[in-house]
Amino acid sequence: MTFRSTIRTKCCMLLIFALFFAAAPRLFASDWGAVLDASRGTIVNFYGWGGDPNVNAWLDTFVAPRLKERYGIVLNRVGMGIGEVLNKLLSEKAAEKTDGVIDVVWINGENFFAARRNDLLFGPFTQALPNFREFVDAAAGDVAFDFGFPTEGYESPYGKAQLVFFRDTERLKEAPGGHEELLEAAKKHPGTITYPAPPDFTGSAFVRTVVCDIVGREALVSLPADKEALRKAVAPAMEFLVALKPYLWMRGESYPASSSQIKNMFADGEIVLGMSYTPFLAPGRIAAGEFPESTESFVFEKGTVGNTHFLAIPFNASNASGAMVVINEILTPEAQASKYDPAVWGDLPVLEYARLSSEERALFESVDTGKGTVPLDFMLRRRVPELPANFIPILDEIWRETVLK
Amino acid sequence: MKSALRAYLLLTPALLVLGALFLGGFAPSLLQSFGYFPAVGMTEPTLSFYREVFGGREFLPSLLFSLRIAFLSSAGAVVFGTLLALLLLRTGRGEKIEGALAAIPVIVPHTVAVLLVLNLLARTGLLARLLFASGFISSPDGMPSLVFDRGGLGVIAVYLWKGIPFAAVVVYVVLRNMNTRLWESATVLGASRFQAFRYVVLPLLLPSLSSTFVLLFGFSFGAFEAPFLIGPTFPRALPVAAYSAYIHPDPTFRPYSMVMVVVITFIAMLLVYLYSFFLAGEERAS
Amino acid sequence: MKTRSPFAPLLLFAFLTLLLLPVLVLLIWSVARSWPWPSLLPAAYSAAEWKSLFSASSRLVPVLLQSVLLAGGVTLLSLAASVPAAKALGLLSFPGKSVVEMLVLAPVIVPPLSYAPGMHLLFLRLGIADSFAGVLLAHLVPCLPYGIRILTNVFRALGDRLEMQARVLGASPAQAFLHVTLPLIAPGMASAGGLLFIVSLSQYLLTFFLGGGRIVTLSMVLLPLVKDGERAAAAVWSTLFIAVSLLFCLLMERAAKRCASSRDTFFLS
Repeated sequence: MTFRSTIRTKCCMLLIFALFFAAAPRLFASDWGAVLDASRGTIVNFYGWGGDPNVNAWLDTFVAPRLKERYGIVLNRVGMGIGEVLNKLLSEKAAEKTDGVIDVVWINGENFFAARRNDLLFGPFTQALPNFREFVDAAAGDVAFDFGFPTEGYESPYGKAQLVFFRDTERLKEAPGGHEELLEAAKKHPGTITYPAPPDFTGSAFVRTVVCDIVGREALVSLPADKEALRKAVAPAMEFLVALKPYLWMRGESYPASSSQIKNMFADGEIVLGMSYTPFLAPGRIAAGEFPESTESFVFEKGTVGNTHFLAIPFNASNASGAMVVINEILTPEAQASKYDPAVWGDLPVLEYARLSSEERALFESVDTGKGTVPLDFMLRRRVPELPANFIPILDEIWRETVLK
Repeated sequence: MKSALRAYLLLTPALLVLGALFLGGFAPSLLQSFGYFPAVGMTEPTLSFYREVFGGREFLPSLLFSLRIAFLSSAGAVVFGTLLALLLLRTGRGEKIEGALAAIPVIVPHTVAVLLVLNLLARTGLLARLLFASGFISSPDGMPSLVFDRGGLGVIAVYLWKGIPFAAVVVYVVLRNMNTRLWESATVLGASRFQAFRYVVLPLLLPSLSSTFVLLFGFSFGAFEAPFLIGPTFPRALPVAAYSAYIHPDPTFRPYSMVMVVVITFIAMLLVYLYSFFLAGEERAS
Repeated sequence: MKTRSPFAPLLLFAFLTLLLLPVLVLLIWSVARSWPWPSLLPAAYSAAEWKSLFSASSRLVPVLLQSVLLAGGVTLLSLAASVPAAKALGLLSFPGKSVVEMLVLAPVIVPPLSYAPGMHLLFLRLGIADSFAGVLLAHLVPCLPYGIRILTNVFRALGDRLEMQARVLGASPAQAFLHVTLPLIAPGMASAGGLLFIVSLSQYLLTFFLGGGRIVTLSMVLLPLVKDGERAAAAVWSTLFIAVSLLFCLLMERAAKRCASSRDTFFLS
């Protein structure tokens, strides 16, 4: 319903196109050809968090030239946090602006949930993408659901991430296998361990990892998204974080605002343990000479939270067909293998291995995951699925109120 | 009457721009603060957001934090700025290269100033390295927290670095235009230099000092960049708290943000009133 | 007023060191490749960040162009609106003057956060959100008060006798303004222009809200770099920012001097 009503305001080509695949689940090659024709020579504005220079460089130097060369599309990357993007879209919706500047947006979790609830996204569109149909298992839990919320074709997987810790083995001899050992390590090395303050992505994921380590994911998922119920359920985890506080960097008086700051502090030797949502961050940074050679990654024995991040198209994108070409291109084995390389980005691929040809598999197998990583299969076995999307802002608030205070 | 008409005619472009944009920009914030936000289906005006924000645990610490950094930084800027102006005047270097150099921070934006303060005062900054080299501390952890700290010292440092030269320029111009014989005759009459400053010069400087103080106070109270970049996680400065609520993934949180925006604007308007009051005094003095 | 004791010059020197040392450290950071704790100087230097600034992917040219065009446009428009307003406030008395004075001063103290979100909604309705024109208009709010304030003082110091004289001698209002008033206020306009340029160049929040990521100025590039701790890149862009500001101020200073000297010849002839 809402899908149709947003579309009505769009240009004629899109109207026909959208009505077509609203009726038919699959698109034929000729229709994709029409999308390619419509997007040739256009500019696609790609909005997403711009805090990681590696990610920016990958989009600018790998994706953009390929799009230019193969489809005549100019990719214009704009660094803007998802919170800002959603509020911009919300204001545009309030003002009934139909020719928005944002064509592709990098999104997941609670932000996707909020965007869908406010009808800020265009779709469903994933079944229209040839590469999605060919390489992605649409029924897989981490594609069909995003933080427990059905994606319904309104976002296409971009990559997979999992929270991974890294430490300087010269200074922190033992890898903490769980929260108790983390506390022990903090006591032994006071002032040299910290985590970013939620609602930073990585900080928020760290808090959820601790919550899952202490109270377990199962104890939570069935709860309602109610602050008091959650507060009671996660109380032991919050108590632990309070107990950890005096041994943290700045005695827990303040926390780094972002994961980039964690990276800098680790590179400076100011902290001995850090964490990242990019599983293969450490090898790339070791190779670049920023992290010490003695850096090693690890995960908790009970696992760390992991999730898929996605790409979506705003309800008022001016160039939705161009956006689909861009998203489709990011689902090619070449693009996915390229960003899998820790020297490039270190993001996990979203394609079904079984659906790849042997040449395509070779692309991934030839990637050197480098020094100091956790083996991929070991890591994936210790992957805790994310908590429901609407829990995230509530948990972040509870952290602010109980731990920070 | 004719001159009044002429005056308003001359003022029309400026008033039109300021009136339409400034008031037109503030009005939606005001409406949203009362929970009137039709875009997300909120159409019932209510005071509940004000009640919730005022009763919340972070509002008061945030407000106090913002007032504190604004007060300390602008008071410091006025005091040290006056000192710098006196030094420039006494050494006769005000119009020379030193005067120009002293004014450089005025043109450097706050974001850059934040970077400078980080480079110097962070736990692995130059100051910590100097303290390490001279044996005062043995690790970055031994360094007292000067940025991201709850006292907001890093933020204050940014505002001081920018504010001192600004105040110095204002005071220097007033001092230069002042009748220097006033000061000299006071010293001839047996007053110490300090007494001459305290009883002769200071009263004449006071209107400019007050208006500069209010201007800097207002600016550092409402500005967002510095506390956003090197402020503590708790309490956040009021503009940072407002911004964070604004970008909350749930848009029904926007009224909370707008309540804080309205509070900031209200306090700023009070300061505007004070500022114009002091400015009038300054004009009478000159 | 000069003192013989060496105390004052020393203190002045200390002050200047404190104010300027951070800028020096910034310059060092811009060429530091690795500067690990606890070294007092970088372990390795490289011009990589400067090189990447001038590479195509840094978007240096469009960013500089947009910044300078925007700040330049804001400066011109602000001056154009400030001159008549300042004339009214500086030379005429009229009912409601104190209220008007307060209103035109307000945006110096009231932060952009107060009006930027609402202005975004307003501009969306007007169809000028995410556009150069929209950002230009938005920047007028924080800039105008500075222009009006400085020029009001200029008009007040000047008085209106010279323009009156010209009128008495038979000049039209336009002629009197163009040939008498304008040359007299030109130095004031030049120094106000320098300030307006910098105020516009420094706007982050307004550019962000109303440019929607389309209008990328130096401030828009710089804040994320500082936030994400990209210290070397941030140092390079900061240096560029300071250089652009300084250059513009110097140009304005020279223009002011030239105006001042031509005013002298005007008086002599």
